[in-house]
Amino acid sequence: MKRSNVDLVIIGGGPAGLAAALKAKEQGTEKVLILERNIELGGILQQCIHDGFGIHRFNKRLSGNQYAQLFIDAVAQKDIAVKLDTMVLEIRADKTVYACNKREGMLELKAKAVILAMGCRERTASQVLIHGDRPAGVLTAGAVQRYINMEGYLPGSRAVILGSGDIGLIMARRMTLEGMAVEGVYEVMPNPGGLTRNLVQCLDDFEIPLHLSTTVTAVHGRKRVEAVTVAGVNRAMKPIPGTERRIECDLLVPAVGLIPENELSRAAGVEMDPRTGGPLLDENFMTSVPGIFAAGNVAVVFDLVDYVSESGEIAAAGAVHYIAGRLEQKKSDRPVKAGDNISFVVPQRLGKECGETTFYARVKDPAKVATLSCCSGEELIFKKRCRYLAPPEMLTFTTDASGTGALTVAVTKGAGKR
Amino acid sequence: MEKIKKALKKAFPEVELSLHLDERAILTLAGECSSWQQVVAMGHKAAGLPGVKNVVNELRVPGLPVPQMDYRSLCSRGKKRGVVADVDVLIIGAGITGCGIARELAKYKLDILVVEMSGDVATGATKANNGNIHPGHAEKPGTLKARLNVEGNRLYTRWSEELNFTLKRCGAMGFITSTLLWPALLYGYRKALKNGVEGVQLVGGRRAVELEPGLERSGIAPRVKGAMWLPSMALVEPYQVAVALAENAAENGAEFRFNCPVADILTEKGKVAGAVTAKGIIRSKVIINCAGVYADEISAMAGDKSFTIHPRKGVIAILDQAQSPKFDRLTEHITLEAVKQSFKKSHTKGGGMCYTPEKNILMGPSALEIPDKGDLSTSARELAYALGRGDEAISYRSIIRFFAGNRAADYSEDFIIEMSPVTKGFINVAAIQSPGLAAAPAIAGKVEGILAKAAEKEGHPLQKNPRWNPLRPQKPEFRHLSREEQDALIQQNPHYGRIVCRCETITEGEILDALRSPVPPASIDAIKRRTRAGMGRCQGGFCQPRVLELLAKERGEDWTKITLKGEGSPVLLKANRPRAGKKAER
Repeated sequence: MKRSNVDLVIIGGGPAGLAAALKAKEQGTEKVLILERNIELGGILQQCIHDGFGIHRFNKRLSGNQYAQLFIDAVAQKDIAVKLDTMVLEIRADKTVYACNKREGMLELKAKAVILAMGCRERTASQVLIHGDRPAGVLTAGAVQRYINMEGYLPGSRAVILGSGDIGLIMARRMTLEGMAVEGVYEVMPNPGGLTRNLVQCLDDFEIPLHLSTTVTAVHGRKRVEAVTVAGVNRAMKPIPGTERRIECDLLVPAVGLIPENELSRAAGVEMDPRTGGPLLDENFMTSVPGIFAAGNVAVVFDLVDYVSESGEIAAAGAVHYIAGRLEQKKSDRPVKAGDNISFVVPQRLGKECGETTFYARVKDPAKVATLSCCSGEELIFKKRCRYLAPPEMLTFTTDASGTGALTVAVTKGAGKR
Repeated sequence: MEKIKKALKKAFPEVELSLHLDERAILTLAGECSSWQQVVAMGHKAAGLPGVKNVVNELRVPGLPVPQMDYRSLCSRGKKRGVVADVDVLIIGAGITGCGIARELAKYKLDILVVEMSGDVATGATKANNGNIHPGHAEKPGTLKARLNVEGNRLYTRWSEELNFTLKRCGAMGFITSTLLWPALLYGYRKALKNGVEGVQLVGGRRAVELEPGLERSGIAPRVKGAMWLPSMALVEPYQVAVALAENAAENGAEFRFNCPVADILTEKGKVAGAVTAKGIIRSKVIINCAGVYADEISAMAGDKSFTIHPRKGVIAILDQAQSPKFDRLTEHITLEAVKQSFKKSHTKGGGMCYTPEKNILMGPSALEIPDKGDLSTSARELAYALGRGDEAISYRSIIRFFAGNRAADYSEDFIIEMSPVTKGFINVAAIQSPGLAAAPAIAGKVEGILAKAAEKEGHPLQKNPRWNPLRPQKPEFRHLSREEQDALIQQNPHYGRIVCRCETITEGEILDALRSPVPPASIDAIKRRTRAGMGRCQGGFCQPRVLELLAKERGEDWTKITLKGEGSPVLLKANRPRAGKKAER
């Protein structure tokens, strides 16, 4: 077994991991190693050939793979070790990492700090309780995207998409452009799940109908999909008997949510936040296990890759502090609470002297005109007027959150008077 | 006959019945019923009457079609191809029953051919059950099921050692928290003794807690008054057993032909001559009918119409491995409710919560009588029933997958294992529902005995195959090895260094082993059954493209030809790019 010592091990070479590696290197970390299970860096971005990436960070409209390539090229120019086609099997609380690949066999790496950047997996049709038969022709949006964009195959000719999150919307357009018929997008919630610009550019522009408060209840076809049954749902998201309709199709694409891939994290003893599906984080994006950090979609599902890269940089800066021993005395025990109309906030806890801290949050309900505020104890430390807030559009702000009290992040209706 | 007519008229006064009882005491029912449930209820009632050996149920529900396979077109297709093989033994069906028989018969100098309608072994009820090797205590004493269950359970140890599949001898326990229920335990214990169940014991509370650490962990320990302890209960991955049996049979010369449904049985002067399959005519003097839900139809083709299979659908849910089983054994709390249920004379089998050797919890199965043998659909209602069959409410959020299978039940609800008295050389191994998996070694042994006896009688006793090798080599299971062992394995063969299925930690090496095995998988699900790739929480979201690529490469097939589960189920419909599927050389 190959045993080695590394300063910083980064698990995942997608946008979070790449940004983290560059930041750590820039701040002087000597031995930085990225472990990536795919045969190339870039993570999920490699199959995102649509544009819209990098508007905030680079002021450009790049495709996913173009965005990734900027970071991949930068990594190649630095002394950053990369192991491709390498799967991490275990992370221990003492920051020992086990990974393996064909060329080297089993690797035992002892790291001073670890950054978790494993991203997400997709929720499956079984998990949203779609009944009926189990034929070929049921593929999650990401899997369809991979087959079409990376491998060059069409997995169907007439598709029904369940889920109006960004991935579902993007695939509605992609499948249409590739010559498939997209019968419609069905969304169980009363509001669409993706960014407004995607609703316009993927559905409206291609005249693909969106059916809200409707779900797919069953698939039909013993060998390949022949049809699906859709039904209207009530406020409790339960199908309403009598509203069922049969739709002929040969591909059902569940685009029903991303689940942060934290199996390795859990096994390492990292405490999780059920609201984000990711680890409980402090202002350095460090988890409950000292020296283990998290960034990107494994921490919380982002919608903009620009923020993913930013989170990677935050985690890397934290890891650098940690390796230098500067986080020894710090205790991050000030809770950050999700106040009015906020479903979650990351980070979930802060130290007293956290300084300039970047927060990411989502609203529960849409709001046309609202005020985003952050209070430390009784003191208002941040306020911003916002328009057209919706759950799919993540909120972010940076402010000096040093203090002693708990924090509350809230969104209140109206322009606000305080 | 009169008594039978009267009894049925009394129970179902509104049904116009026509009955026929033959010299074998087989009762044929015909007429119209108001519902499928009534059709089945009448069949059960009739089979239970004195003087009735079994029931052929031709009752119909007006307006409810019972789908039939198009045997005629399969037959003409097969006849066109003419005789394609001439063998000593033709086994119809590659489920646990057919594979078990093939494996045992391979020890003789016999030309054995197994034909299977689907694309792989174990695609019927064999892959869709709880994997329980029951102790045999729950079967009605005196039935063939009971006897073969107990015998089979014992023989599993040897099978698992010789064939290298995982057998987890976990034991089972039914515990009580109220002394009022001692009589229930006593009743179960006496039944178990009658059936000859090995090692069954009644134990007190303290011993029960010793045997089942889960009782302490879940805080029930102080309330446990006693239990029935069944050390012989074991767990397997049932498709793994079938694959192991098939591979060993194939290694010893048995041939397997897939996508080969039987459309007719050929007889000459009351003796078996062969079978017409969709892929051609196969001549054989011995045919062993292990056709699962279709066994009655095959038997009828051979001129022996003496039973009817009424499929009983069961839905099972698999939970995420993160949801650890509450108990170390298969342990059930015997409550008053549970006792009431067991007296309801339901034919359903299976405890509510169970787990697999890989530590996934299984919930179910449910039980629903259906007219369509090919209907494997699930429904919200059936799933709710499956999830409800446990001690506490299981969150739907732990579910990673649910599926259905159809039990091949006849109306006597017992096994039919016999040389057909109507057609010589035709051996029925039919109506194998639970405990078919547990009984499999004993069923195979019994069929071996039937064949040996018949051969003896003919003057041509079976000759042993001197080159028979009962052992199937152990294949590496990367996920169960230590880090050092994993390293050594990769050094030996780098293919084990690439993890293809992340959720279950399945390596490329294991997938290649399966692709190069004696009964190679031809579809994605076939690989899943052999390796576990795709069985995890992401359900193939990550690994399916990689598995597809390996399958296409190994079989030299275009990606668009690769199926999920056999003919008619391609994953990809067309290539959209000139360089589709071509990647940098790995």
